[in-house]
Amino acid sequence: MLQLHRIGYRYAGYATPVLHDIDLSMADGEIIGVVGANESGKSTLSLVASGLAPGSIGGALTGQLSIDGIDMAGSPLHEFSTRVGIGFQNPATQLSGVTGSVFEEVALGPMNLGLTGREIVDRTNRAMAVLGIENLAEREPRRLSGGQAQLVVIASLLAMRPAHLVLDEPTAQLDPEGTRLVGEALRGLAATGTALLIAEHKTDLLDGLCSRIVVLDGGRIVADGAASDVLADPRLVDWGVEPPSRIRLGRAANARGLDAALIDGAIGS
Amino acid sequence: MVLLAIRAGVFGQLARVSALLTLPIAISVVLVSVFTRAGTTVLFAIGPFDATAEGVDFAGQTLVRLFAISLSIGLFVLTTNPRAFVFDLERRGVSPRIAFVAVATIEAVPALVERAGVIGESQRARGLDTEGSVRARLRGVLPLVGPVIIGALTDVEERSLALESRAFSRPGRRHLLWAMPDRPWERWLRWALSCLLLAIALARITGRI
Amino acid sequence: MTHLALEGVGFVYPDGTRALSEVDLTIVPGEVVAIVGQNGSGKSTLVRHLDGLLRPTEGRVLHDGTDVAGVRVATLAAAVGIVFQNPDRQIFAGRVQAEVEFGPRILGRTPQEAAETATAALEAVGLSDLADANPYDLGFSRRKLLTLASVLAMETAVVVLDEPTTGQDARGVARIQGVVERLVAAGRTVIAISHDMRFVAETFSRVVVMGAGRILLDGTPAEVFAEAAWPTLASTYLEPPLAARVGARLGLGATPTEASLIEAMGAQG
Repeated sequence: MLQLHRIGYRYAGYATPVLHDIDLSMADGEIIGVVGANESGKSTLSLVASGLAPGSIGGALTGQLSIDGIDMAGSPLHEFSTRVGIGFQNPATQLSGVTGSVFEEVALGPMNLGLTGREIVDRTNRAMAVLGIENLAEREPRRLSGGQAQLVVIASLLAMRPAHLVLDEPTAQLDPEGTRLVGEALRGLAATGTALLIAEHKTDLLDGLCSRIVVLDGGRIVADGAASDVLADPRLVDWGVEPPSRIRLGRAANARGLDAALIDGAIGS
Repeated sequence: MVLLAIRAGVFGQLARVSALLTLPIAISVVLVSVFTRAGTTVLFAIGPFDATAEGVDFAGQTLVRLFAISLSIGLFVLTTNPRAFVFDLERRGVSPRIAFVAVATIEAVPALVERAGVIGESQRARGLDTEGSVRARLRGVLPLVGPVIIGALTDVEERSLALESRAFSRPGRRHLLWAMPDRPWERWLRWALSCLLLAIALARITGRI
Repeated sequence: MTHLALEGVGFVYPDGTRALSEVDLTIVPGEVVAIVGQNGSGKSTLVRHLDGLLRPTEGRVLHDGTDVAGVRVATLAAAVGIVFQNPDRQIFAGRVQAEVEFGPRILGRTPQEAAETATAALEAVGLSDLADANPYDLGFSRRKLLTLASVLAMETAVVVLDEPTTGQDARGVARIQGVVERLVAAGRTVIAISHDMRFVAETFSRVVVMGAGRILLDGTPAEVFAEAAWPTLASTYLEPPLAARVGARLGLGATPTEASLIEAMGAQG
C-alpha cells in the first residue's frame, strides 16, 4: 500500500510548484492509470511516488509519502527501490550499458541488493518469464528494438521484487510493434499482483488494463474513479486527454443516431 | 607486443592508433635530437644546424621507447573487454561505483559519436554550412556543440535516475555473478613479467644496461 | 515551388547495409504525403535524400528536373526543410525566439525579416507567448513544436516532418494537423514520416508504404488501408487504422478515417 497524502512538489530552482494537494492511494495489486495533458504533472507524480523526487533530484516536497504505513520522508533511495520501481520513456538510458547480455542486465538489480548467487539467478529467471523475454537472455542489450529494450527494463525492475511499479509513459517513444509488445507484457505483469501506476497518453492501452484511472490537470487530481467511468467522462477532452477509440467512435455513432454497439462488436473481434 | 597484436587480430587498428598517438611527439623529438644533440660525428648540415650521429642514435632510442608506450596502451585498450576489466577490478576491492563509471565512460563514446552525427544533420538541414568557408564553419560551432553537451548532461541525469531505481547506491559489497577466469599460467606469466620489469629497472639504475 | 523526383534511387551504407532499392518517387508541389513503414524500412533514409544529407549510391535525385548531385546541403535546405524527430538534437539557443530566427538568418534573411518570419512561425505552432522563454524550461512536446517553428520560419517550399506526433498529447496532435492544413493552403508540399496510422489517414491525401528499402504501396489512404492491401501492410509490420478495420468487419468498404466510417454506417442505414 503506497499512500500520497496532500503531496505538493516544486522542482529545484523553480518558483512554482508542479503538484498541488495530491491525495492518492495505491492498494496492493491495484492497476491504476494516470492520464492528463503534457505538463499536467504525470511525470512529476511518477518521480515523487518512486522517491526520486526529492531523493535524487532535490526540490521541495510537502505532504507525506508512506509505504505500508511507514513514512518514507528522509529514507535513502535504495530503501525505495525494493518497494517502488520506476520505469521511464526512453529504454536506451535505462539500460545500464555495462552488461553484455539481457540476463546480466536483469540480474544487475538483485546483484546490487547483495543477494546470494542462487537468489539472483532465481529472481532473474522469474522476472524474465513474466515479461516473456526468456528467448532474449543471451542477446546484447544495446542491439534490441525499442519495444524489446523496454521489456528488459521492466524485467530488471521486476527482479527487485517491488510491491509497486510506476511506469512513466512506457510506450511514448516506441513504434506500434513496440507498443503492442509492452501492452501485452503489462497484462502479464498485472497478473503477478504487483501494484501498477501507469502514466500514459494512449488511453486505448489503459482501457481494459486498469481498474482505476486518475486524471491530472495543472498538477491537481481532477478525477479519480473506476476506469470505465472516468474514460467515459465527457470532460476528458477539456482536460487534454483523448478518450479511448471505442468511446470516441461510439459517441460519433450516437451523434448520428447510429448504434454504438455495432462498433463495439467490430472492435472486439 | 607486435606478435600479441597479430594474435589478437588487432594489428591494423593498433598500428593506426599507435602512429596517431606517437607521430606528433615523435616528429618534434626527432628534429630536436638529431639537430641539437651534442656530438662529434657530423653527418650533414642544414644552415646553422648540424645533424650528428649521436643525435640520430638518441632519436632512434627515444622513438623506440615512445612506440613501446603507445603500443602497450593501444594494445590494452583494444584487447581488453571493458566489462571484464571493470568487474575484475571490483572483485579485487575497487568500489562498484568507480568501476561502473569507468565502463560507462568507454561505452558512452559510440553513443556520443552517433548523437553528434544526428545533431550535425539537424543543423545542416536548417542551412548550416559545414562544407564551406572557415567563417561559415566557425558560425556552426555553437549549434553543433551545444546540443551535444546538453544532450550528454541530460543523458547522464536520466541514466543516474534509472540506476538509483536498481539500488545502485546501496552501500556494501555485492555478490558478483560472473568473474574473469584466472588461469594458473596467466598468474605465473604476470608474476614473471613483473619480476623481469623490476630486474630491468634495477639494472638500468645500477648502470648495468 | 519545388518538384521532387527520385529516379531509380538505391542507397547502401558504408558498412554494406542496403537501405534503399530502386526507389522511384515523384512528389509535385502542393502534395501532402505520408511515408510509413516499420523501423528499418528506409523511410528516414529516403527523406534524407531530399535535401542532400545522403547521396544516392544508385540513381538520381532531382529538384525541378535538375540533378542535385553536386549541390551542397546548405543550398538545398532553402527548398526542403526537415524537422527531425528529436528536438534535443537541434535546440541550442537560450531563447525560443533566437532558436527560431537561426534558420532564416543562415539562409540570408535580414535580422528584420528573420524576426518577422520567426514570430509568424511561433504563432502558427501556438508558442507566441513563450518567445522569451528558455527552450529547456519547456516540456518535450513544446520543444518539438519549437523545432517545427524553426523550420517553418525558413519558409521552404517543401516541409518534411519526421514523426511529428510522437510524444505529443491530443492538443499537440491537433496543433500539428492545423499547421499541416495551413501549409497546404499556402501551396507548400508537406511530407511526413509517421507510425500513427490514424493521424496519417486523417491528415494526408497520399500514403507511401515502404518495406525493406522498397516502395510497396503508393496511393490514397482509402486505397492503402483497404482490406486488399492488409497483407502488404502486415509484411512491414503495419496495422491499418482502427476505422479501416471496423469498416471492413462491418462490410462497409474502405473507411480509412473515423469520419468516413460513421458516414458509411449512416449511409448503410
